Amino acid sequence: MIELCNSTDVVEGEILRRDVEGFPAVALTRHEGQIFVFPDTCPHAEESLSEGWVEDGRVVCGVHFAEFELGSGEVHNRPAGCPNLTFFTCEDRDGKVFARLKEEA
Amino acid sequence: MTMCRGSCQGAGRPDMTPVYPTAGSYPDFARLVDRDTAQVDRRVFSDEAVYQAELRQIFARAWLFLAHESQIPGPGDFIRTSMGEDDVIVVRQRDGSVKALLNSCPHRGNRVCMVDAGSKARGFICNYHGWSFGLDGGLRGTDGKVYEKDESFEKAQIGLTPVAQVASYKGLIFGTFDPEAPSLEEFLGDFTFYLDIMLDNEEGGTEFIGGAIRSEIDCNWKFPAENFVGDILHAFWTHQSGAQAILGGGVDLGKRYDELAFQASVYGHGIESNLDKVGNTRTLGYPELVDYMFDLSERAKARLGEVRARAIGAVSSATVFPNMSFLPGQNTFRVWHPRGPGKIELVSWTIVNKNAPERIKDLYRKGVMMTFSPGGVFEMDDGENWEYSTRVNQGFVTRQQPLHYALGLGSEDLERDLPGIVHKGSMNDANQRLFYTRWAEFMEHDNWADLQNGATAAPARPKAAAE
Repeated sequence: MIELCNSTDVVEGEILRRDVEGFPAVALTRHEGQIFVFPDTCPHAEESLSEGWVEDGRVVCGVHFAEFELGSGEVHNRPAGCPNLTFFTCEDRDGKVFARLKEEA
Repeated sequence: MTMCRGSCQGAGRPDMTPVYPTAGSYPDFARLVDRDTAQVDRRVFSDEAVYQAELRQIFARAWLFLAHESQIPGPGDFIRTSMGEDDVIVVRQRDGSVKALLNSCPHRGNRVCMVDAGSKARGFICNYHGWSFGLDGGLRGTDGKVYEKDESFEKAQIGLTPVAQVASYKGLIFGTFDPEAPSLEEFLGDFTFYLDIMLDNEEGGTEFIGGAIRSEIDCNWKFPAENFVGDILHAFWTHQSGAQAILGGGVDLGKRYDELAFQASVYGHGIESNLDKVGNTRTLGYPELVDYMFDLSERAKARLGEVRARAIGAVSSATVFPNMSFLPGQNTFRVWHPRGPGKIELVSWTIVNKNAPERIKDLYRKGVMMTFSPGGVFEMDDGENWEYSTRVNQGFVTRQQPLHYALGLGSEDLERDLPGIVHKGSMNDANQRLFYTRWAEFMEHDNWADLQNGATAAPARPKAAAE
């Protein structure tokens, strides 16, 4: 797993973007206390999801308003051709957020 | 302007800053209104070139009614409306302010919003190529992965064209395409004194209820606007049978007509009233509303003074130049959107006091539907008249004949302690003459200094004005 940031940096309802060397940018958010890590790039049109927002337990893309369920990544209100979002396995270890990122650039 | 120098491979980047058209001057069209003889040339109702000049001189410059605050209470709430023939989205921002945006994508021009109204919108996405605009109109992103890889693409300066100025007066939101236009309050001038009869007769202000009613009438937009600005005369003929059916008697002038009735005009905006307290409210046919209006009128004296308290439900009508009208006490509120010289789209609402009892609001909603809707008693009466007043001008000889606007010449009331240009009696063509004088000022002048200081400007008010 790769260390991303301090867990206190991840604020309830906000989306934080992190650039990690060797990987595409990732995004983090906290919902009802739990931390979620996912690709910052929307699987639809490659817009930045950290410029969107979290609403009712879903990440909303700020460009075409696709909604992804936190955790499962299931897409709702999707533009044609928009797939689900894949969330990364992550852990809060002693105040640091670690995640298992995929190496696809 | 050359779009493609040489091979269209030039270094020139598109300049996407909003374009606000400038006004011109059309003295020949201004002369179609003859103030000396109180005549109007019928070409103002039929000529395509005049109509195009109206879109430029009037609808691209004047403050136009956009929406009532109550229609878009929260962030992302929006309605779609028109300014002239321009399609516009009016949308509440996250900070509570209101923006109005041209409903046309800057890419290929398609509409970005197809529905009449909605709530909690996140933005507007063009159906053509997926260009996505935020509530503020700014381009947030595009479809596909093409533009993101085009290094010459400058997203930051692209957006839906904002209406140049947006402002509110007591719940009514207006906009103008002219960055140089004076403030909304200056445009309304002393007419706000009369707007308050409808908008500020009780704590809490007003709201629209029950949605909008849309219809089309094959008439020039100025016929309904001039009708509401000061034509109560027609009621005694046009609406006589409808009034008899509802009221059990004819249209009533009120016992103190000679003493009280008046017309007032400021910058072409106009109101006529008989100050008979309940005449308009009576036409809705509900005795309970008449009781409510008598009570409201009594309570409003402290707020508005004796004269305006008598006007809240009186036989009366009003237009804000160019195309927003309402009936105090009857509570229909409408905009006459031009759709060519011979057609309008009429959008009407019911306006009520926010703090009125629910039962009263419901009676107003029903009463307005029964009288001033496409199937309403009075709307049908009016529509046919305006259609024929317009259509006859297809006749080449017919349209050479000037129209008579000379009722009440010499009836100006210089004594009365009311703001604006005041005339005696509500049955008078005075406000209509001033409406067309204002129309001519817009045709003539290319600048606001002249527009705000011509014949339609209100005389300076005496200090002890009737507050």
